[in-house]
Amino acid sequence: MEVVLEAKNLSKQYGDVIAVNNISLAVEKGALFGLLGPNGSGKTTMIKMLTGQTRPTGGSATVLGVDVIRDPVGVRGKVGIIPEQETPPSFLTAMEYLEFVAAVRKIPGIETKADWWFDFLDFADKKNVLCKDLSRGTRQKLMFTQAFIHEPALALIDEPLINFDPIMQDLIKDYLAGYVKKGKTIFISTHILEVAEEICSGFAILHKGTLLHTGPVAELTAAGEHLPSFFLSLVRKDRHV
Amino acid sequence: MFELFTNMVKEEWRVHSTMFGSLSFALFPVMIFGIAFMGSFLLPLMRTTLQAGNLTLIVHATYLMLGIMVGGFGLLGNEVMNRRFGQASLLAYSARSLPLSEKFIFSNFVIKDTVYYFFLWVLPFGFGYILASPFIGVPLADALLLLLTLTLSFLFGLCSVFFLSAVYARSHLVLWLVLLAVVVGLGGLAAMTGANPVLFFPPLLLNSAFTWANFLISCTVLALLFGVAIVLFNPESVGSEKMYRDSFAPLNRRFSFLPNPPLAAKDTLDLYRSGSLVGQTIFSFLLPLAVIWFFLSLLGPFFPPHGLLFVVAVTTGVIASTMYTWVTMFDTFGPYACLPVAVSTLITSKLTTFAVLQVIPAVSIAAVALLSGEAVYLVPAMVLGISVSFYAVGVMAWLCGLSPNVLVYDVRVLFVYLILVGIVLAIFTAVSFANPYFALFAVILAIPTWLLVRMAKVRWDAVDPEGF
Repeated sequence: MEVVLEAKNLSKQYGDVIAVNNISLAVEKGALFGLLGPNGSGKTTMIKMLTGQTRPTGGSATVLGVDVIRDPVGVRGKVGIIPEQETPPSFLTAMEYLEFVAAVRKIPGIETKADWWFDFLDFADKKNVLCKDLSRGTRQKLMFTQAFIHEPALALIDEPLINFDPIMQDLIKDYLAGYVKKGKTIFISTHILEVAEEICSGFAILHKGTLLHTGPVAELTAAGEHLPSFFLSLVRKDRHV
Repeated sequence: MFELFTNMVKEEWRVHSTMFGSLSFALFPVMIFGIAFMGSFLLPLMRTTLQAGNLTLIVHATYLMLGIMVGGFGLLGNEVMNRRFGQASLLAYSARSLPLSEKFIFSNFVIKDTVYYFFLWVLPFGFGYILASPFIGVPLADALLLLLTLTLSFLFGLCSVFFLSAVYARSHLVLWLVLLAVVVGLGGLAAMTGANPVLFFPPLLLNSAFTWANFLISCTVLALLFGVAIVLFNPESVGSEKMYRDSFAPLNRRFSFLPNPPLAAKDTLDLYRSGSLVGQTIFSFLLPLAVIWFFLSLLGPFFPPHGLLFVVAVTTGVIASTMYTWVTMFDTFGPYACLPVAVSTLITSKLTTFAVLQVIPAVSIAAVALLSGEAVYLVPAMVLGISVSFYAVGVMAWLCGLSPNVLVYDVRVLFVYLILVGIVLAIFTAVSFANPYFALFAVILAIPTWLLVRMAKVRWDAVDPEGF
């Protein structure tokens, strides 16, 4: 299978703090890959490095064949990204933000595409509201839309279901599952293990910036294990090391 | 509730110090002190050409302007706290999670700003002068009085902006009526007394002759301005939704001739919808410029023929260069991090918007030239002012990238900025004094400006975007 994302000995150090330590992993085309780990394990830093939002201090990575260190803007041009915290610009409306994204990414026919997303995620009544006045959930819908509106071959999402109500979570999970069936790839980071077990085909577990395990979810279930209990035993064992 | 105040001060310190290290920030007031201390030794020399009264006027005008600029920085309209702090989660937002009213937090915020910037700017300057006073033949009592009146001048600027911005948030029309009333009042005072109305500025009156009555008048006016600002403060109502029809697409098409049309369209909407274009133009540009022009006009006899116009043009250029901070204040690199946009692209876009805004200083210089009857020198004055503005913004972009509002407090950055801009100002002021048409040579500043912008793009592209 074709590898769309590959990290080799990727590291990130902030002063004396090692956020990500020497991580190597590969994600194949068509996978829904979950990066799992407790708070502060390095998941967000890993996504930031893979999308050229921050520079690694060691190692290398290619995303869709583009070197993230040499061409971070090129990587961001090819993928879709939902960051963990960033919100859309305060003084644009939801519709204007999507037009802005389309203009930067040079996406044609934005009005039709945007209308589809407004209907799909049920926030058409907010399309002319300033982003700063949107609720967290609606902002997350907007950020989700901007990441997928150009139908990228690979989308990297930091906590995909955060701020969504149960109905929307269900809708999003179905959408992600359908998206990878079309031959696209999704890379998510989450600490909601049940969701990861439900939707992911492959996973990696990070703890304190170190990779503890990586492999397919099917392998785990075939061995009669559940992802949450496997994760907890692995992380707890690592804590005592 | 003193804890809220002290924690806000700590927070303000950490916002600055975490950006470029505690030491660099801590050295900032030390540098102001050094400039004041060394500058004081030039006073005997300056007094040979300037009357003592005029020098006092200039110093008080400078501190009044400093207060106006500190107060004007972000304290406009309903977006007060949001605009100042962006998406950061700070104590200014604690009304959402603590049993504290928005007005109480705003009062603390204003007092914190006053105290914080007093220690950052006013006290180091005054202290430098006080320490130098025994060496330059100035009685210590006079130096202490100057510190007091400069503090009052600073507070007048600060409280005036808080007052006017609170009025502006309530009603734009009332703001214009208040400004009109002030102008008419000053005009009436001048007509009735036959004296220059600026001499009735309370801190100046106090400086010329200290009386407890004058001191009380100053304090009462300040308390009134501050009190009314707090009463009128109108926090944004929670849950309100502002709706706009689509303006982005038409603007994007209209700006198709610019290097980055969507970024320019976004900047335009940011400036317009936040109220900053009008608010900043009044409080951070026109008001300081009017104050400076007014005080400089008192020094007219000491300048060579036509010199005043060119000093105003150069000053306008420097103030106009701060418009770069208007267009960079709305967002960090964060919201662009999920898009294929480089830091250098954003710098280009912000500078493009800045270039469009230069219409404001150009019109201002033209107005000054026409009103002062020196229309014949309009073109050289405008070339000088706009060239200085572009050069100063080139220096700013190179030194600060997309964060000029914060990095200006890095003492190393400020020092290099002052040197690079100061030298150019001195040279071109002298050149225009020699012959007004020599001011046209300022176009040569386009070369270093171009180089500085190029260097800025390379430099800030190499910095981890997360560092912005």
